[in-house]
Amino acid sequence: MSFDSIVTGHTSGGRLLFTIITALCLTIIYAPVMYLLLASLNPDAQLGLVAPGRYSLTWYFALLEDRRLAGALEESLLVGLATAALATPIGLSAALAYRQMRGMRGIFFLVILSAMFVPGTIEGLGLSATLRVVGLTPSWVTITIGHLLWTLPFAAVVSLIGLSAIKPSAIAAARDLGAGPMRAFIDITLPLMRANLVSSFVFAFLLSLNEHARAYYLVGRQNTLPLHMFGAMNSGASSTIYAFSSAVIIISVAIVGLGFAGLAGQRSEGRDEREPRRAD
Amino acid sequence: MPDRTEAYESAGAGWRPAPFLLALPSLAVLVGLGFIPLALIATWSFWSFDFDTYWIKPAWSLASYAALLENGRATVFLRSAGLAALTATASTLLAVPAATAVGLLTGPRRAALLLALFTIPFFTSGLIRAFAWRLMLGRNGVINNALMSLGIVQAPVEWLLFSDFAVVLGMVAAFLPFAIIPIVLAFARIDHSVIRASQDLGAGFWTMLSTIVLPLVLPGIVAGFLFVFVVAIGTSMEVQLLGGAGASSISIMIDDVLRVANFPLAFAIATVVVTLLILLIIVAGRVLRPSRLFESLGI
Repeated sequence: MSFDSIVTGHTSGGRLLFTIITALCLTIIYAPVMYLLLASLNPDAQLGLVAPGRYSLTWYFALLEDRRLAGALEESLLVGLATAALATPIGLSAALAYRQMRGMRGIFFLVILSAMFVPGTIEGLGLSATLRVVGLTPSWVTITIGHLLWTLPFAAVVSLIGLSAIKPSAIAAARDLGAGPMRAFIDITLPLMRANLVSSFVFAFLLSLNEHARAYYLVGRQNTLPLHMFGAMNSGASSTIYAFSSAVIIISVAIVGLGFAGLAGQRSEGRDEREPRRAD
Repeated sequence: MPDRTEAYESAGAGWRPAPFLLALPSLAVLVGLGFIPLALIATWSFWSFDFDTYWIKPAWSLASYAALLENGRATVFLRSAGLAALTATASTLLAVPAATAVGLLTGPRRAALLLALFTIPFFTSGLIRAFAWRLMLGRNGVINNALMSLGIVQAPVEWLLFSDFAVVLGMVAAFLPFAIIPIVLAFARIDHSVIRASQDLGAGFWTMLSTIVLPLVLPGIVAGFLFVFVVAIGTSMEVQLLGGAGASSISIMIDDVLRVANFPLAFAIATVVVTLLILLIIVAGRVLRPSRLFESLGI
């Protein structure tokens, strides 16, 4: 494997210009969050940065006292875990179906992705009206239903990527050695898919944890985290919201880091290490 | 690579019941929870409000669609679309160079790192990121303080926050990855020998970029633009946290209408938006087949 870029020679300033713009993009994406993290270490009631010597976890300790926050956290964890536990196997099943389809592949893929394109507000509105007619009382169950719809396309794509990387010969070999199709699936396909399934679970959990628009329409009596936070942000209230937002960001980034590390470290026996297929 | 596909088909993924059975759970979710509710609210948008049940009754009427044109609702539609188009344009202008840097100008390890950095924010709270912009852009925020201490301005710049500028900036920061990733996927499909050949034949960097690379990644650019546009037109938190007094968006409008329990009108607004988005995606799909982008993931 070469570690050089594709274009190696002289670029007439292109490399410099494009590197600067890339840095600008990363700044726009990360600077506000970094600022929030630093501001959350300010022990004063006022917002703003303080000298590093005065950094303090005052507001983080104050979080521990917040009862309503604990309730929202519990609700979000429940919804997130339930969503991920449903989306991961259903996504895997969709990916397996896709690999075995012939004529209907394109349409099936479009149907899978379709949920990504509908604004959350509208999906939430449609679901809440429908569930109302069905007679389902809003609770963590209705939010989970909405979040399953939201996360399934991502779970399916992550599973598809994993499935496409499995060497067909690994499964053929298992079958030659006398394994039945179910045996080969359990002993070969599933273990090779482990990293992708973990990532699929992690991503679905995080997407659910941070989802606001659908939950807004589907929520019962107990707010989820983003709903609780939105209220706190607009009431201009206590400084704990900075500490809390920061904590959510740090935890999200840590979990997503695990998800990526899983995907990156999945090179193992039986995986297809060839270049990705090109459309010829 | 037909050999590989054939081998795969014969070996299967191991266990192989009919693909329809495997597709069933996901289809149940996407059709049952996605399509059917949208079809229902599209139907209900032609019903009328029922004062007895505080819900809707099947009295067919076009009143909700007439009401779409009242109270400046059409303006909200146009403004939302305008801000979304502005966001998509700005994101695309930043994304093309950034994706080129990832796909063409850096080695595989650094490209993977950059791609991860562009993907991570997607899994963090958009709400918190919009809130963080509010802290930075305010009258006493870090940006105004910096501008004043550098002597660039004498008084705080008022339009930094609670303005269209803040909304677009917040949305670009939030949705930029949606523009970058499709282009990076398009880069992965380019045959490197084409680029080497153009350089061997004496093409400079900019000639190679404009005549070889950009036409090849155009479907990715258009897909990215559409992704951002679609997400930006449906979002509400950036407008709610960063927009000026009286700023509205389609989502906020739906919410306002629901506050007075005007369900048919809320359904009508949703139906119009979904119809327009479907048309947009069909037209774009026909012209550019952006779904081919996923081929570079080996799917």
